[in-house]
Amino acid sequence: MCLEDKILEALKSVYDPELSINVVDLGLIYQINISDEKDVTINMTLTTPGCPLHNSITSGVRHCVEAIEEVKNVKVNLVWQPAWSPDKMTDEGRRALSR
Amino acid sequence: MFPQNLGSETNIKLPFSFILFSLAALVFSQFMLLIDGQLIANGSFRIPPIWSVAHLLILGWALMVAMGAMYQLVPVAFLTKIWNEKFGFIQFFVTAAGITSFSSMLYLSPHYAMIPGILTLVGILMFLFQMMMTLKTQKSPNILTAFVGSALICLLLTIGLGLTLLYMMNAGTGSEYYTSIFKSHLLLGLAGWFTLLIFGFSYKMVPMFSLSHGYPMTQARYVYGMYITGLLITLISFFNGQYFLFITGFLLLFIGFSTFSWHISIIIKKRMKKKLDKPFLFALVAIGFGNLIHLTALILLLIRQFENLAGPIIYTYILLWIVLSIVGYLYKIVPFLWWTHKYSKDIGKTKVPTLKEMMNEKIISPILFLFIVNVFIVFFAIIFKQTIFFTIGQFLLSITFIIFAISIVNVLRK
Repeated sequence: MCLEDKILEALKSVYDPELSINVVDLGLIYQINISDEKDVTINMTLTTPGCPLHNSITSGVRHCVEAIEEVKNVKVNLVWQPAWSPDKMTDEGRRALSR
Repeated sequence: MFPQNLGSETNIKLPFSFILFSLAALVFSQFMLLIDGQLIANGSFRIPPIWSVAHLLILGWALMVAMGAMYQLVPVAFLTKIWNEKFGFIQFFVTAAGITSFSSMLYLSPHYAMIPGILTLVGILMFLFQMMMTLKTQKSPNILTAFVGSALICLLLTIGLGLTLLYMMNAGTGSEYYTSIFKSHLLLGLAGWFTLLIFGFSYKMVPMFSLSHGYPMTQARYVYGMYITGLLITLISFFNGQYFLFITGFLLLFIGFSTFSWHISIIIKKRMKKKLDKPFLFALVAIGFGNLIHLTALILLLIRQFENLAGPIIYTYILLWIVLSIVGYLYKIVPFLWWTHKYSKDIGKTKVPTLKEMMNEKIISPILFLFIVNVFIVFFAIIFKQTIFFTIGQFLLSITFIIFAISIVNVLRK
């Protein structure tokens, strides 16, 4: 398993506590950049600007990736472009919302 | 006890102080209603014990909870930080002291209520100043700013009119304007401040809690225009006594509210989250009640029966629209605040509970269902002047409120 897949797998343990869906299935993770030095930069969004959980979720993403052994440093960028929309969710995310 | 402010989020001590005070005021007001409630059943509304209970319920509970919620929601809805949190804590202590002494003085000796009334006014003015400074920093004002800003102006006018009433009572002057000012005080306080505030924040919270996307916002402008015009025309009718204007004002308020209900239903239809949380569902039910009450008030006005039933109508407006909305949203806000305090630092490290798991959802539906039933019992007891039914209904309602307060406090044990 490559490092990006490991990161994505780990991020599935970070849940939006309001929706009870992980950030990957919710489609919040836009981009994962890994440098040669194993420094990780994650571009992510939230379902709505001003989401009161934004500090909690972005810190959760950082803590989770920092816990992966190969990773050296982690930077999380919260971006609003492109804006989140439901089509960014995975099928599993959609199923969870319709339950 | 609480963590420090994380970035742009509000220090949760601030909203919590308001919310905990409001729960204490709610429980106390219910005990007072049990003691003096038969006076309402006999049709006596304008008497010191009822003024005291009404102000403890409206100022101590609803206003304080609205202020606490605003300290939490303004940064969320307007993407801006609270101007000065330290000032917010001072404002809390001034307002809490003001409301406590004001309600006590209304009960014990209304003629001396002016000074604690001024202390309450200072607390509210501090809140208005805080919000004005906060909203000023908003980068691009929108329709939500118009709703919340107008609600704050209505709150200022309500307090000003309330103090005018106290002055008139003390000085024994201006009796010819007393009724008009009293009606304006009620209209601006209930339909101006609370309704416009709930409208404004609903436009942020409804899409957030239902995960709605791709809905139109054009209707919100019509809601705002209709409701504000309705308020203005009704106010004018109070002073010039023209019945036609009174009806026109209420008609516009009804159209404004109906447009709001319709718009919210459009937003809900666009939701991704199919199964909505129970407390949120009750906040939506409150919109239905609000609409029904506006319609009933309009019909009563058309058949010239409104004056006879104004008391019970206002009672249901406060309980089934304002209080039910606030209670519904409170069951969402309090778990969030406590979750942030207790678990936000653990997310991504260990398994943390969801917000839904922070409360006992099974108990919420029976509590709120009982609340609605009990309000109807009291409503009909007031209409038919049935003291026994009123006492039973009010007793059950007070018990429901106390269970509600306990269930909210229980969240803090999770």
